[in-house]
Formats: sequence, structure tokens, C-alpha cells
Amino acid sequence: MTRSSSGNVYVPFGGKVEVVIPQARDISLFRVKTEAPLDYAPGQFFMVSLWGAGEVPISVASLSRDDAVVDLCIRRAGAVTGALHALEAGDTVWLRGPYGNGFPLDTSRGRDVVLVAGGIGLAPLRPLIEWFMENPGDAGRVTLLYGAKSPGEIVFRDEMEQWRDRGIEVLVTVDRAEGGWEGRTGLVTGLWQELRSDLQQATAYICGPEVMIRAAMGELFLLGMPEERIITTLEAHMKCGVGKCGHCYAGPRYICTDGPVFSYREVKSYGLFLSR
Amino acid sequence: MKREWILEKNHISYWLRQLRKDRDLVGPLRNEGKDVVFMTVEQIHEVVLDLPASLPSPKEFLFPQYESMLRFNVSGKVPVAGPGAKTVSPGACVECSREGDLLDLADRRRRLVFGVRSCDVSAVRLLDRFFLEGFRDPYYEQRRKNILFVSIVCNNPDPTCFCIGLGTGPYLEEGFDIQLTDLGDRYFVQASSAEGIRTVKDMSFLFRRPRKADLDDQYEVFLSAKARFHKRISLESSRRAILEGRVKDSFWRRVTERCFECGGCVYECPLCTCFTVADRRYPDAVERIRLWDTCLFKGFTRMAGGILPNGKRMLRTKRWFYHKLVHYPEVFDEFGCVGCGRCAVTCPGRIDMATIATEMKGLDLDGSEQRP
Ligand SMILES: Cc1cc2nc3c(=O)[nH]c(=O)nc-3n(C[C@H](O)[C@H](O)[C@H](O)COP(=O)(O)OP(=O)(O)OC[C@H]3O[C@@H](n4cnc5c(N)ncnc54)[C@H](O)[C@@H]3O)c2cc1C
Ligand code: SF4
Ligand code: SF4
Repeated sequence: MTRSSSGNVYVPFGGKVEVVIPQARDISLFRVKTEAPLDYAPGQFFMVSLWGAGEVPISVASLSRDDAVVDLCIRRAGAVTGALHALEAGDTVWLRGPYGNGFPLDTSRGRDVVLVAGGIGLAPLRPLIEWFMENPGDAGRVTLLYGAKSPGEIVFRDEMEQWRDRGIEVLVTVDRAEGGWEGRTGLVTGLWQELRSDLQQATAYICGPEVMIRAAMGELFLLGMPEERIITTLEAHMKCGVGKCGHCYAGPRYICTDGPVFSYREVKSYGLFLSR
Repeated sequence: MKREWILEKNHISYWLRQLRKDRDLVGPLRNEGKDVVFMTVEQIHEVVLDLPASLPSPKEFLFPQYESMLRFNVSGKVPVAGPGAKTVSPGACVECSREGDLLDLADRRRRLVFGVRSCDVSAVRLLDRFFLEGFRDPYYEQRRKNILFVSIVCNNPDPTCFCIGLGTGPYLEEGFDIQLTDLGDRYFVQASSAEGIRTVKDMSFLFRRPRKADLDDQYEVFLSAKARFHKRISLESSRRAILEGRVKDSFWRRVTERCFECGGCVYECPLCTCFTVADRRYPDAVERIRLWDTCLFKGFTRMAGGILPNGKRMLRTKRWFYHKLVHYPEVFDEFGCVGCGRCAVTCPGRIDMATIATEMKGLDLDGSEQRP
């Protein structure tokens, strides 16, 4: 729902920070409660702002349950995200949206699902994990392959046990083992052979740094997954979120309104990878 | 629907004076540097009537270089104009919270822009589609709803003009508000939009019915205008050259070597629409503003962490031309160029639409330049 009493798409509405849950160094989850109910889908994003700091796109990190709550998982990356990190419970934050197309859940209906995430890229996939947990019949086996730079940078660590308990297979790897880490080390793209799903029949949802997305998409394709079922969400500089400011324009598409979710087929045919 | 009249030239100042009564009159005026530019008219006699074909684009009045969008009053009191605050018509309070009031600063002032060219009217038709299809841009929409254009048929196009190949000038058959053709001692007046027709009819005593001689004279102006074009440019063949893969990156690299990255082309082009958004702080309020931005600038696509998707200059030049020549037709079925030639007047590096289209014509099938 795009709520704006004035019909002006640039007018944000206020929400209250209910709780801040630190996830890793420079990454926190902000649970925001608004007055009117919110209706958003996995893969969509809000333009999030503070007056005087500015506005940035942030993906929804929770599943919309017809209430007035949204989780935003934010990494401190610069001016605006830095200001957002100063928010405490009870503070007001401004939102407009939701925007973007969201993940095409039809693509994975009845199929095994491989979720591939790197770093904070797990946040936009968390609503999908919640969806598959709450709707176990919707897909077959669901496996999360997650890579972080170091054990200290793993996000949603506290929730992973619960995900496992509710039927999601979770495989975590780190680039650098530290502090008594006994799990896997190495790149997330090194985990394909541990998968128990037939990749040719499965659907993949990928989010992370662009280098990781690029590698994961290419490798899954070579392993036989059709390009329409290799799905990612892309990031680009955005100032408006509604297809006007021109910043996220790539190929003939706007990442904000035509995306941010695209299949490997679209990424290739429109040349959507930003770093060329 | 199109209606036609005749207006004697010695009635024009009176007409403009009447039109100004209930709206701002914007017209071509000579500034201190003696350049003719569009400005709000204070003295009717200063309006330049023998204007050159190419003036700065009037897009400024629909999509200004700097625009205040929203104002958030921290104190919750009536806004006080801070330093640099523009006089915008006061907006309604759209949202209230304990922290303060949020004002929508959309400019709803009524304007009449006199003396624009057919290419500009054609550009506005495309801007309408860009800003109002999909999500509606409320700032453009409010200005657009309140603006009326009086365009003048080009009887003496500049050497840089190439609207004729695109059907966007030198005169229009439809889709304008009011169109004037200069017949020497009188104007042939045509009105096409409902608002245009109403505006003429409001002062019908100034106008008379056209006679056969008037129609003949207008036809002659149209014919001689068409004959005066220096440039015959086919953007369709450029588009095809790109789609057929004849325009290689080496071409864009060569072109880009001439670019000074001044952004002049983008600011002058009536169809360039990119902007950035920023918050300006005042002691008691914050204004969210937007400013023209340029895809040709290096920082345009910069992302957090310093990633620069279009870091290579060549990619930015290519993006500008692809947008206008390939993507615009794909989305809107029209080129993102109306042939106004302003980029040619502005660019110190001869990287303008007509020159580039001409250079593409000289490319061989394998992308190499043909030797004369
Ligand atoms: C669809 C989408 C979803 C996203 N989801 C999330 C999410 O869930 N969580 C998350 O943490 N992040 C997310 N991001 C990324 C997040 O939006 C960026 O990290 C954020 O915009 C950075 O803003 P900043 O002000 O903190 O950073 P800064 O680096 O300070 O920059 C802010 C912006 O201003 C511009 N800028 C700053 N300085 C300059 C300069 N010198 N020249 C030109 N431009 C400049 C940059 O383009 C930059 O994007 C998402 C991005 C997109 C597109
Ligand atoms: S690209 Fe050049 S000729 Fe075409 S509309 Fe823009 S400024 Fe005018
Ligand atoms: S006007 Fe010419 S030199 Fe300036 S940015 Fe445009 S193409 Fe480059």
C-alpha cells in the first residue's frame, strides 16, 4: 500500500521504532510500527528517511502479516544510514512505499528452493525464509547457503536454529574463521555440492554483493538451472524509488520500478549488472 | 479540434497585457548579457518578438533546476522563509505529527509561456508521458496543469535545427495550446487544446476570421520554413546502426575523448529529466529539494562504499545516446530527441545528436570508420 493522504508520492509517513536489535558490527534490525496497516511483499523496499539527513532505499526484512509492522535491517554505509543508526526505540522514522516488484513466488511453487545470500544480503531473503516456514506446502526442500566475511558478521544468527527447526536447511560459511569458529570456511559458491536438491529442477533466490550475485548466477546456470529460475535482487543508487530521478536506470529498465528483482535472463538481456 | 483566427500585430501587447491579469507571463527577454532567455515578464514592451529559433529550453517552468518539494517544520509553527527559500505558493498541510508539520510545496502558480517553439511543445508532450505515466510526479503535474504555451512557427530555423526529420517542427498540426504563424503585419492564430481555444475566445473581439489570403500566406510560410533546413538527420538509421551492432565501444571511446564533462547538453536538452534529492536544513525546518543532475557526471551512479557502476566515461556517453535513441523508442515509441539542436549550440566537443548521428552514418558494417 502506498499511503499518502495528499496523493503526492514523495510524501512520507511517520513510523515509530519499536525495538533495535543489533546484528553485527554496523548492522542493526529496526522494527518499525506505523499507524495504518502496511502491505508489502518479499523483495520490495521502502524509501526510508530522516528529515535533514535524507532518504535511502531499504528492503523489507520481514514478512507482511497484515499488521502495521516492518523490519528494516540496515548497514551503516554513509551519511543517511549512519543517521538511521542513531535511532532508538520510540524515535520516529519516515517511510514511503513499498516500491518495486518483489520476488516471483510462482517461480518456486512446488519446486526445491536454494537461497543464496552474502553478508547483509540475507536481510531481503528473510521474508522468503519466513514465507516458506509458514507455508511448508508451497515449495519442496528449502536450503539457505549463507556466506559472511567473518563469524562476527553473520546476521540473524539467533534465528537460524529456529529456521532449522522449522524445516529450512541452513549452511553457513565464512571467509575468515575467527574466535573458535568450527563451521565451514570459503566462498558461498563453494557449497553447491552439499546441496541435496536437483539444481535443474530448483529455483534460486540470490542476494548479496554484486560480485557474489554474478558468480552465483553464472555457476548455477552452468550447473543446469534455467535462467528464468535464477533470481536476484539488484542494488543501484536511487533518489526517488518511483522511476523518475534516473539514477538507477540501467539498460532500458529502472531498477526501482521494473525491479529490483530480476531473473538471470533479464539481467543478461538488458545488461543490468552495473559494474561493467 | 483546431480553431483558427487572425490577430493584428498591433494588438499583441494588449492581448499579452490582458493574459497577464490572471497568470504569470513568461516570455523571451534580453538579459544583461544581451542573450534572449525565458523570464517572467514585467514590462510587456520588453518581450522580444523577432526571436532567434533556438532559445534556452522552457523546461525550467515545468521542471526547474532547483525545486523545493516538502518542508518539515521542526517547531510545528507556520513556516518562516529561511535563507535561499523560494517564494512558492503555500501548500496545504498534508501530514501532522507532534514533531512538526509537513508542507507540500508543489508550485501551483498559473503561467503562460509565450514564444516557445514547436520542438519545445513536442518535448512537453513527451515529458507528460515520462512524468505522468506510472507513478505521477506531483511537482511536474501541478505546474503542468497550470501552464499554457503560446508557440511560434519557425519561419527561419537555425542551422542546428533538425526537427523536420522527426515531425516535431517547424510547425505542428495538433497537440499545442496556441500556435502563432508570423505573417508580417499579423499573426495566424491556431488553438488546439481546450484551454487554448478558451483563452482565445475569452478575448474574441481582438481576433477575426482568417480569409483566403491569410490561409495562402500561412501556407507559404510553412513551405519556405521547410525549405530552409540545413540538416537532414535520420535518427532511425542511427537506431538501426546501434541495434545491428555497427556502433562499437571504440566509437563511443573516440567520441568521449572530446567530452569535457560539463553537463551542458543535459541542462539544455528539453528532454533530459534526471535529478537528485537532498535535504536542506534551516534553523526551524528542513526542506527536501530536488536539483537537476546528470548521468554524464561520474558520481551519478555512485553507491555506498564507493562502487562506481558507470565509472568509465565512455559508458556514460553511450548511456546518454542509448537512452534517447534506443530506449525511448522502446518505451514511448518516439525518440528521446526533438531535434532542437541545443546540444549542438552548447557542446564544446561537438558531441551533439546531429553530429553523432552523422558520424554513425559513416560507420562500416564492422564498426570501423569509412575512409573517404
Ligand atoms: C532496492 C535497494 C534495497 C536496499 N536494501 C538495503 C537494506 O535492506 N539494508 C541496507 O543496509 N542497505 C540497503 N540498500 C543500500 C542502501 O540504500 C545504501 O547503503 C544507502 O543508500 C547508503 O546511503 P548513505 O547515505 O548511508 O551512504 P553515502 O555513501 O553517504 O551516500 C548516500 C548516497 O549519496 C550519494 N553520494 C554521497 N556522496 C556523494 C558524492 N560525493 N558524489 C555523488 N554522490 C554522492 C551516493 O550515491 C550514495 O548512494 C538497498 C539499496 C537498494 C537500491
Ligand atoms: S538531444 Fe539535442 S537536439 Fe535532441 S532534443 Fe536534446 S538538446 Fe535537442
Ligand atoms: S555538452 Fe558536450 S562536452 Fe559538455 S557534457 Fe555534453 S557532450 Fe560532454
